[in-house]
Amino acid sequence: MRREEFLENIRHRTRYGRYKPTKAPDASWTPGRRAAAREIGDPAARFLEELEALGGHGRRVGGLEEARDYVVGLARSSGARLLVRWDVEELERLGADGPLREAGVEVAVWRELEDFREVAGRADIGLSTAEWAIAETGSLVLESGPGKGRAVAILPPTYVAVVPVERLVRTVSEAIRMYAKRNSLPQNLCFHTGPSRSGDIEQSLATGVHGPGEVHVLLVD
Amino acid sequence: MEKTGERARREGIESGVEGFNERARRALADPELHDSIALFTRKTLKGRAARLAELPDAPGLRERAYHIKQETMANLDRYLAQMADAVEERGGNVFFAETGEDVVRYVGELARKKGAKVITKSKSMATEEIELNRRLEEEYGELELEVVETDLGEWIAQLAGDAPSHIVAPIMHMNRRQIARVLSRVAGEPLPPDVRALAGFARRRLREKFLAADIGISGANFGVAETGTICLVTNEGNGRMVTSIPPVHVVVMGIEKLVPRFEDLEVFVQLLARNGTGQKLTVYTSFITGPRGADELDGPEEFHLILMDNGRSKLLGTEFEEALYCIRCGSCLNVCPVYRQTGGHAYGSTYSGPIGAVITPLLKGDREAKDLPHASSLCAACWETCPVGIPLHDLLLKLRSRQVEEGLAGKAQEIAFKGFEEAVEHPAAYRAGARLGRLVQRPLVRDGSVRRLPPPLSGWTDFRDLPPLAERSFRELWREGID
Amino acid sequence: MRVALFIPCYVDLISPEVGVSVFRVLRSQGVEVVYPEGQTCCGQPAFNSGFFKEARGAARHFLDVFGGERFDYVVCPSGSCTTMVSHYYPFLFRELPEDLERAESIGGRVREFSDFLSNVLGAEEFGARLEGRAVFHCGCHQRRELGVLEEPQRILRNVEGLQLVGWENEELCCGFGGTFSVKMPEVSVAMADEKIRALEKSGADTLVSCDPSCLLHLKGRLDRTGHGVRVLHLAQVLDPRRGRVG
Repeated sequence: MRREEFLENIRHRTRYGRYKPTKAPDASWTPGRRAAAREIGDPAARFLEELEALGGHGRRVGGLEEARDYVVGLARSSGARLLVRWDVEELERLGADGPLREAGVEVAVWRELEDFREVAGRADIGLSTAEWAIAETGSLVLESGPGKGRAVAILPPTYVAVVPVERLVRTVSEAIRMYAKRNSLPQNLCFHTGPSRSGDIEQSLATGVHGPGEVHVLLVD
Repeated sequence: MEKTGERARREGIESGVEGFNERARRALADPELHDSIALFTRKTLKGRAARLAELPDAPGLRERAYHIKQETMANLDRYLAQMADAVEERGGNVFFAETGEDVVRYVGELARKKGAKVITKSKSMATEEIELNRRLEEEYGELELEVVETDLGEWIAQLAGDAPSHIVAPIMHMNRRQIARVLSRVAGEPLPPDVRALAGFARRRLREKFLAADIGISGANFGVAETGTICLVTNEGNGRMVTSIPPVHVVVMGIEKLVPRFEDLEVFVQLLARNGTGQKLTVYTSFITGPRGADELDGPEEFHLILMDNGRSKLLGTEFEEALYCIRCGSCLNVCPVYRQTGGHAYGSTYSGPIGAVITPLLKGDREAKDLPHASSLCAACWETCPVGIPLHDLLLKLRSRQVEEGLAGKAQEIAFKGFEEAVEHPAAYRAGARLGRLVQRPLVRDGSVRRLPPPLSGWTDFRDLPPLAERSFRELWREGID
Repeated sequence: MRVALFIPCYVDLISPEVGVSVFRVLRSQGVEVVYPEGQTCCGQPAFNSGFFKEARGAARHFLDVFGGERFDYVVCPSGSCTTMVSHYYPFLFRELPEDLERAESIGGRVREFSDFLSNVLGAEEFGARLEGRAVFHCGCHQRRELGVLEEPQRILRNVEGLQLVGWENEELCCGFGGTFSVKMPEVSVAMADEKIRALEKSGADTLVSCDPSCLLHLKGRLDRTGHGVRVLHLAQVLDPRRGRVG
C-alpha cells in the first residue's frame, strides 16, 4: 500500500470523537509499604550494589593501573586465549595489551578485522569502556561507533567494561533525557544491565544464555 | 449432509462459548500446567510489586503513559509520517503494510533478493500474529529459508510446534522435564532436565545460527516518531545478536507501538520492565536508529522498518481505541484469575488473557473470537494492573454488547433477556415469577438445596448447590414487619 | 438521616435474612429506613451479558422507583449491585444526557452497606460478638471500583471473639462473575476451588463478605464439596438480634 493512502486512512479515522474512560484504581500501584523507595546516596556504591544483585561483578579501582591488573588477572585466571576490545583512546591508555600478550592472551583490536564474526565469536573476553553508567540499575550505556563494536559486549562469554567513575548518572530517566536532547543518536545505543539472563525455563535464572554470562565493571577513579 | 466440524462450529457460535470451554477443560485437567502457571505468576507478581514500590511515583508514571498514548493515537498519521521520514533520513527503508500478507511478501521478496538462507528472529508478537514463519516457509518454499526463533522460550516453542502461551513468557506452560524432552529430540541425545544444561545447549545451537544469519528480524517494543528509533527490550541478548550481526535488519512493528518523543521512553521503558518481568530494566534495552555508519564494522548494512496495520487502524477514533495503548507487558495475564486457571492456549489466539480477549475480536472480527469476551468474570484485576490504565473490563463489556447488536448472542439469550426486562420493569410480573419459581422448585429441593436444574442453569448445579427461593421474600417480610 | 434500602433481587428472593440484618443494623444506629417496594433488579445480569438495551430498561425502572422516594442515601448490601448503579448506570447512559443526569444524581448517593456505616455514619463498632476465626472476601467491584476494602475489615476486627485472619491471594476473584458462572462453569468453579484451598490453608471456620453473590457461589461450592465452613454476610455478623432468629 502506498504511504499516502495508508496515512490517509489513519488520518480519517482519528477524526472521530473521543471516549473518556474512568480513572484506573491505584490500589496495586500505591503499595502500603513504601519503604523500598530509596534515595541514591553515593552513585558509585549504588551502581556496584545493583550490579552485584544481578550477578555481575563490580569494583571501584584507584586508577588505570589497578584496572589493568584486574583485566590481566582475570584473563589469566580464567585461562582466556583471546580478548577482543574496542579501539578507543581510553583502552589504549589502559595499556593492557602488552601485559595480556605477555601472559599468552591474544588481543584483537576492533579495527579493520577481516571477519568480525569469527574473531568476536572465538574471543573469551570482550573489553570495552562505556559512555555512561547508571547507578539506579547497575547499567552500562554503550554507544556504537567507529572502533566500538557491538559484538564485543555480546559474543564473548565474559565481558569487562572499564568506566571512569565521573561517567555515572543517577537514574534511567536522567540517561534517557540526556539522549533526548541530542541532535543525533548513535545507530545503536544500549543500556546493558548485568549478565545475560533467561527465566524462560520454570522462572529459574539461567545466565549467559546468548550474551555474556559473566560481566565485570571497573569504576575508575 | 453437513459436515460434523461445520455443525460443531455453528453450534459453538450459537451457544456462545464452546471453543473456549472445550480448550479450558483440557487445561483444567492438566495439573502440571496448573503448577507451571502458579509458579510463574507467583514469582512475577512478587517482583512487580517490589519494583513498583521502589518508584517514587508509580501512579504518576502510569498517568503519563496513558496520556502519551492518547496523544499518539489522536495524531497517529502525523507521527507515523514523522517516524518514516526520520528512518529514511538515516538511510533506512520504510514499508507501510496494510495486512500480514503485505509483510510476508515484503520479507519474502527481500530474502529472495538477498539470496538469504538463514533468518534469525528475536521475539516478536507482531510476527506471531501474522504467522510469519509458517507463511514464509509455505509461500516462499523455493527459497528453502531456515527461520529460527532465538529467544529461548520461543525457540523451544518453535521446536515443540507449540504456540506461545504468554506474551512475555512463551513457554510458561511447560516445565523443565517437558522442555528437556523437546530439546533431547533435537540434540539426538538425552539432556537432563537441568536449567543450566538446557540453556547451555540452546546457547551452542543458536550461536551457529546467529553467526550464519543473512537477515535478522525483530519486533519493536516502542518506536520513536521524532528520531526514527526503535526500542527493543530483551534479557538473553538474542535481540542484540539479531539486530547487530546479520547484514540486514528487518523490524516488524505494529503502528500502535509509536511514541512521539525519545524522552517518552523514560516512562515506557521503566513501566514495561517493572510491570512485565519485575525488573528495573531488562538486561538489554536497545535503541536502534537506522543502518550502521560507513565506518562501523558490525551492525546491519540495511535497515527495513515495516509499519504494520493489520486491523489496528479500525480501532482509531472508536470507543475501542484504548486497546491500542497496550505495551504488551503481560501483566493483565498474570493477574487474571481466568488465565491463571487455563493458561494461554485456552484462548486459541496469538494474544491471550484479558488483552487477548479484547484485541483478538477487534483485529480479527467478532465472529472469529466470539467466546473470548466472555472468558472473564469482569473482576477488573486487568484494569488495575495495566501500566497504561486500559479499562480492559469495560472493553470486554462493550464487545459483549457489540455481539448482541450484531445478533451473535443467539436466540435463546435474546428471548431470556427480553423476558428479564419485562419482569424487571413490572414488579407484579417479577413477584408472580418468584411465586411460580417457588412452586416449580418443590420437587427439586433436597436437604435444603437445589442440586439439579435443566440447562443452561445446570452450569450452576452440576458443580455447586443452590439454595432454594425463600418461602417469604424480603418484601414480604418487610410488609409483615421486621422485629 | 433517611435511608432507602436497595435489596438486590437475589437477596430479596433467596437470602432475605441478609436484608433483615441490614435493616436491623441500620435501625440500631438510629437511621430512618424506607424500602421502596417497586424495586426489582438493577439489571446487572443483562448488562454483563452485553444486553445493554434491556439493562437500560432495568436501570430506568430502578431510577423511577428510587426517584419517587425521599432519602439522603440509598444503602445496598452488595458491592457489586452498588457499583452497577453508581458506576455502570452512568456508563450505560453516557450518550443519553437526560438519563445520565438522573443516574448520576441517584448513583452518587448509593452506598454499599459497610461504606455507609464507616464513611457516612462513622460507625465501626457495633457491640457484636461472634466466636470464630474468619477470613474476609472482598468482592471485586467493591475492591476495585468502589475502593471499599479496609472498612469492612476494620468493622470485623471490632467484633468480640472473632479473629480476622489473612488468606493467600485474597485479591483473586471468587469466580462468580454473574452469568460467567453458568456460561463457563468449569473455569468458574476452578476459581472457587482456588479460594477454598486458600481458605482451608488459613484455618478459618468462617467466611464473611459484603457481596451475597460471591457468597452464594462460594457456599454453593463449599456445600457441594462437603466443607463445613460458616458463611455470613457482614450484616449478619453485626445483626443485634442474631441468634434470636434463624
